[in-house]
Order: sequence, then structure tokens, then C-alpha cells
Amino acid sequence: MGVTLKRILVIDDAATVRLYHRGILEAAGFAVSEAINGLEALERVAEAPFDLYVVDINMPKLDGYGFLRELRSKDIPQAPAIMVSTEAAANDQKLAYVSGANLYLIKPVRPERLLAHVLTLLGLSVAPRDPHQGRHQ
Amino acid sequence: MALKKAAAQATTTDDERQRDRDLDGLVLALADADPLARRWAARDLVAYPTATTALIAQLMVESEPSVMEVILTTLTRIGDEQAVIGLVQCLRSEDAMLRNAAIEAMKLLPDEVAPMMGRLLADADPDVRIFAVNVLESLRHPQVENWLLRVITDDAHINVCATAVDLLGEVGSEVAVPALRALKQRFTEEPYIQFAADLALKRIAAG
Amino acid sequence: MMEPTTISDDEFQKFREFFYRKTGILFEDSKRYFVDKRLLERMTLTACETFRSYFTMLRFQTSGEELQALINAMTVNETYFFREEYQFQCLVNSMLEEIVAQRTTNAPIRIWSVPSSSGEEPYSIAIYLLEYWPHLTRWDVEIISSDIDTQILNQARRGLYTPRAVQHLPASLLKKYFQRDGEYYQIGTELRDAVEFTRVNVSDAADMRLHRQFDVIFCRNLLIYFDDLSRKQTAESFYDALNPGGFVCLGHSESMSRISSLFRVRKFPEAIVYQKPWGSR
Repeated sequence: MGVTLKRILVIDDAATVRLYHRGILEAAGFAVSEAINGLEALERVAEAPFDLYVVDINMPKLDGYGFLRELRSKDIPQAPAIMVSTEAAANDQKLAYVSGANLYLIKPVRPERLLAHVLTLLGLSVAPRDPHQGRHQ
Repeated sequence: MALKKAAAQATTTDDERQRDRDLDGLVLALADADPLARRWAARDLVAYPTATTALIAQLMVESEPSVMEVILTTLTRIGDEQAVIGLVQCLRSEDAMLRNAAIEAMKLLPDEVAPMMGRLLADADPDVRIFAVNVLESLRHPQVENWLLRVITDDAHINVCATAVDLLGEVGSEVAVPALRALKQRFTEEPYIQFAADLALKRIAAG
Repeated sequence: MMEPTTISDDEFQKFREFFYRKTGILFEDSKRYFVDKRLLERMTLTACETFRSYFTMLRFQTSGEELQALINAMTVNETYFFREEYQFQCLVNSMLEEIVAQRTTNAPIRIWSVPSSSGEEPYSIAIYLLEYWPHLTRWDVEIISSDIDTQILNQARRGLYTPRAVQHLPASLLKKYFQRDGEYYQIGTELRDAVEFTRVNVSDAADMRLHRQFDVIFCRNLLIYFDDLSRKQTAESFYDALNPGGFVCLGHSESMSRISSLFRVRKFPEAIVYQKPWGSR
């Protein structure tokens, strides 16, 4: 088709969460990669930066805040990041934004909500592919 | 200039190990201004299980991640009840890095952590319960599936259940099927729980 | 007893996630045949009739022995000259350039190759520096190579290799640095004088303390055979064995992101390596 898919990196230590987010985003026509913690995410970024990041907070080795701080300090094309957390605490939200998040969502995230925010942050009015056609969540 | 053989085996600089290597000397060195000296002290303290308290105390105030990491490794290697109690304390820290590092350390101490599991899973703080489920991931313990079933049956917090379901997909057996179905009923409006429980059920049926 | 015959899609998925978490190795779908075959072999050898019983053993075995055996089966570990050559290219084109640019003294550059195994890696590094690093005229370089096994260290010092071990070397280099000895190839004095061999147990703090002030550590395909704690402990010792700005090179299927957060990932054109940050202590 000649159109390059937008690339999204899903960072979470829980395999099921990665699979869930991947399913939602792939159905909408995005190319999704995964990382199991912040350090591995930085390795993926070193290979090639992404168009958007979906970042969990609590992860081993390097947590979501640490990942975002490192990411934001890099001299590479920057991209929006959505932080997803189990916590609604105001302090966590503040820390997320200070670390470089563009949006803070509470888990579990509903598919339509995640997708709407992804589109907004990417400046798209519609998904590259209709997620309700064919395989759906 | 060229390739040449190293003259001696190594050019050891003992500067970071100036203090006595007995318990008192090492505990003093643990508060040294130089992080390298603190790392060596933390590493050498593995020979003194009674140093646990001093290690935990330093961990709580330590600002240098490399020292933190070595202290946690030493606590894991000592791995006694005192060490685990210290790690549990870290779960309540405001510092996400320390919390996550403590979870990792606890994952390496299944036998020592197991006796505290019941209490951690009943903690009033849902975050601590989530951390406890995270630790279960590496526990080679016959109780693991039961603990997880209890969580998805009794815990009111959706994210504690979600974390438990993720693990049940890996360790669950037929025994888990009714509880997973009941969980789906309990959270009918939550797509993530439906997704995760279905995945676990599918894997159990296949395995 | 019935021999296990197949692995289902769901079983493959479940295994893949588990193995990824434990080792950082992610099998693509294209590796399915290879993975299934190794799994079935291990199941037969351990008398597990079903994937479920095997997987349970894998997860819950306290010794972790079966996980080790499986990792061995999944990672083919063969040592030969110029193995994973892109890292040596990275050494001469990128890592050493950065290191000498920051140097304030003319102390020798120190490179550590561990485990030495039978010597293919440290001698490859020596050849690479002699052939491809122009700044060798201005800097002294010490190559130290260590192993836990004294027999293999003796073999490394002897430097006698089969045609198979040297098959990836360009003919001109083979001629330049080796003498033919019947069926074998014997390293010449130039290489022999370039590498110092020492015995080291990387899990032993006292041994590690004697190995310091390195600029680059090659530790490829060793940590993957360690349990989580030993792996972490070894990475921490490497951190203190390195000068600030020093590099660690791991095997192509290994990643520091599963081991320790002490190092920064560095992407060079030739390879991804790990660095002790400049200015750290």
C-alpha cells in the first residue's frame, strides 16, 4: 500500500496487559511493539523511536517515570506518551506529568477510550483501520 | 605503542576499602561519602547476616541507585526473615524505584516470603496487594494457585484481580475455571477483565 | 509410556511468554518449529507426557535445573574466531574512539574477555585491534581473559585450533597469525604475547576485586546460564570493574535490561552495547 503504519510501543511487565493493548491498537491499524520494562523499552527506542508510547508505571529494573525521564532527555524525535496506572493518587499523576507523560489513564483502560486518546495525541480524526470490522475486542 | 600483556594481574586500588572489613568497619563504610566505598561495604556485608538492620536503614536513605542495587542484592543473598521484613517495609515507600526493586528482590526469596503472603494479600492498601501478587509470579510454592483464586474471588479491587488473572493464565489449572467464570460475572462491564479471564480460560482448556 | 508429540498454539504462546520473561529471548513465530522440537526433546528426556506437566515442572522446580537444561537446548553455543564479529567492529570503530577521546592520561586501555573459553574470543580481539584499529600506534592495550576452568585456560594459552574454529577468518589473517600444524592451526607469538589469561569465578567478590579498571568487558553468552541473582551480582561486579564510560558487550540473545539497571544502553551503528555512565563513581 505504500503507507507506513504509525508505530506504538506498549510497555508493561504484565503479558496480558501487553496483549490487550496490542489487540486494541492493531485492530485500529497501528504497528505495535512490546517491552517488558523501561530498560527494554529504551533498547527498542535506541533501535528506532516510536510515534507513541503506552507506559505502565510499576515495572522492574526501570519504572515508567524513569523511562519517560530518560526518553525525554534524548536527542531524538519525541512522541506523545500515555501513562497507564492502577493508581488514581494525585501525587502519582503529578509525577507522571513532570516525568514527561502527555496523558494519565487509570487501569483498566476501556478500548474505545484508549483508542480515542491515541488518535487525539497522534492528531488523527479517524483510525487508520476501522477496529470494529473483522476481529474485535 | 602496541598490545601488551598486563604486568600484574590487576592494578588494585584499595582506596575504597580503607576501613576495616569487620562488621563495625563495614557498617561505618556504608555511610561513606563515596558511593564506590558504600557499594563495596554493601557487597562485603554479605558475610554478616546481622548487618540486615544497617543495610535496610541505609536503603531507606540511599540516594545513589547503584548503591541501592548492591544493598538489595546483599539483602537477597542474606535472605533471612529480617531481610524479608525489611523488603516488605520498602513496598510502602513513596519511591517507585525502591518499591519495584524490593518486589524483584522478594521474587528471589520465595521460601522466606511465603509465610508472609497471606498477610500481604490481605493488606488494606491495594497497591501492596498488587505487589504481593507480583511476587507470587516467581514463587515455587504449592499454594500459589489457591492464593490467586482467593484473590479473584474475594478482592474487591479490580486491579488486584486483574494482576492475579494475568498470572492464572500461566499457573492455573481446571480448579481455577469456576472462579474465573465467577470473576467474569462480577465484572461484566469491564472489558479488560473479560479479556484476561477469557485468555486464562482458553489457556487452561488448552493446557 | 506415551511420547509427547505436539505443542498447541496456546501452549506455544504460554511458553513463549514465560521464556521471554525469564531470559529476555523472544521467539518469533518463524522459530516455532525449532522451539517445539527442543521442547518435545526435553519433555521426552524428563519423562513428561504432556506439555502441562513439563511446564509445571519448569516453573516450580526449586533447583531451576530444567530451566537451565532448556536454555542450553535453546541457545546453541559454539565458540569460533570472529564470532559475532559486528561487536569487534563496534569496538574499533565506536567504543574505543569514544574512550580515547575522553582519556586524560596515557595509561593502557584495558579489555577483559570473560569467559575465555579456549581463547577464540580474546585472540579475535587482538587480531581485530592489530588489523583494524589505527590508534594502536598511539595507545597501549592490555587484553585480559579469564575463565573459571583451569583446564580450558591452559588450552587457551596453548592456542591450538581446528579448521572449524578458524573457518570465519579471512585467509590472509589465518596465514599471518597462525602456523599450520598438521590438521591444526597454532597461534603465533604475536597473539600469544598479546593476551594475559587469569582464573576467575565471576560470582566470587574476592576474585572480581582483582580485576579492575577496564574500559571494555566482553561477556557473551555466559550470564544467560546463571540464575537471576548470580546474574545481577555479576553485572554489579562488572560495574565496579569498569572505568567510568566503560562498556559491557553481551551475547546477541542477551540483554542487560533483564539483569541490572546500572548501565545505559548505547546504540552504535554496529551494535547495541551497555555503558557505565561517564561521570559515575
